[in-house]
Amino acid sequence: MKTDKITQQRIIRDALISIVLYALPVLLMLLSFRISGERPWKQHPQATVKASR
Amino acid sequence: MVHYIELIFTNLNGWGLPVIMLIIGIIEFSFGLYENHWTNNERILDIVCFVVPRIVVRPLIAYLGVLLLPTLLPNAKNIFAWVPFWWGFAIIAVGDDLTQYWYHRLHHQLPWLWRFHRTHHSAPYMGMAMASRQNIIYTIFFSQIYLTTTLVYLGLGYPVLFVTGIKALITTGAHSSIKWDKPFYTIRWLQPIGWVMERLISTPATHHAHHADSSDDGVGNYKGNFGNMFFIWDIIFGTGIITRQYPSGYGIKHYKQEEWYAQFLWPLFKSRRKGSELSAGGPMVGDSVPAVPAVVAEA
Repeated sequence: MKTDKITQQRIIRDALISIVLYALPVLLMLLSFRISGERPWKQHPQATVKASR
Repeated sequence: MVHYIELIFTNLNGWGLPVIMLIIGIIEFSFGLYENHWTNNERILDIVCFVVPRIVVRPLIAYLGVLLLPTLLPNAKNIFAWVPFWWGFAIIAVGDDLTQYWYHRLHHQLPWLWRFHRTHHSAPYMGMAMASRQNIIYTIFFSQIYLTTTLVYLGLGYPVLFVTGIKALITTGAHSSIKWDKPFYTIRWLQPIGWVMERLISTPATHHAHHADSSDDGVGNYKGNFGNMFFIWDIIFGTGIITRQYPSGYGIKHYKQEEWYAQFLWPLFKSRRKGSELSAGGPMVGDSVPAVPAVVAEA
């Protein structure tokens, strides 16, 4: 038994839209840093240790 | 204040949710909301599915995560701990729930996956009893658990605590046979909140429709309404139906009351019920098999 063609096409279309949805909060966060000038990764001790290596 | 909220969510993710489920389950049972459907076979299946993932599967996945992630992603522990709380919250809420939406949807739309999810739909009732009811393979491959475990390792453990707590409350509430969302459709001043709520998160009305045994009444939508925490995925992808009503029947039309062990452990154990999807050589999807026309006796 196979998935019908229309369902297959919708799955592919919606999977592509999902890539945008997954990325959206990350992109919005980066945009907010750009607007506000914040660089939180530079203040975090873990990030500082990694950067100094 | 923050400390108390932290404490609530820490306990909610531990012993809190099972206790809430037990209390609501007792209320549902006392009010006869399972009607006469909770037979011995259903009862054993529901209890096994409630207990085994909590004491075996989830601790095992967490243990394997702690063991394997440092090897798979060396030097990446807490690498994203700098991400501000609310951004972390948004990233995890979308990442976790959209992944579950897809995991769930594909089990309905790809016929070869259906039998791993069927156990959740075979219950002819809604409520706390069936909320955890899943086949063991479906539980083990619950994809977003691995995503969330990885995000915890990468440093997003604190927002994960809150997202998983809120998500558990919403999904549990959507499965409840107590129709707590009804006032949001009937009381005038609550209606605007209801309008937003039913589009944003899963409610008893939208999720019960997903568990309907038929779509003939215009309420049931067992081939859609896949959202778990968020219903908005169904709105975006056009897989959702909102009617503000509750279906007249739950479960699957071709249910053959398969043995609890076959429902829990298929394909390791098969059902002996003839023609069952879970029997050896049974159909992949039961409702794709044309029903045998009834013989009409002519006078």
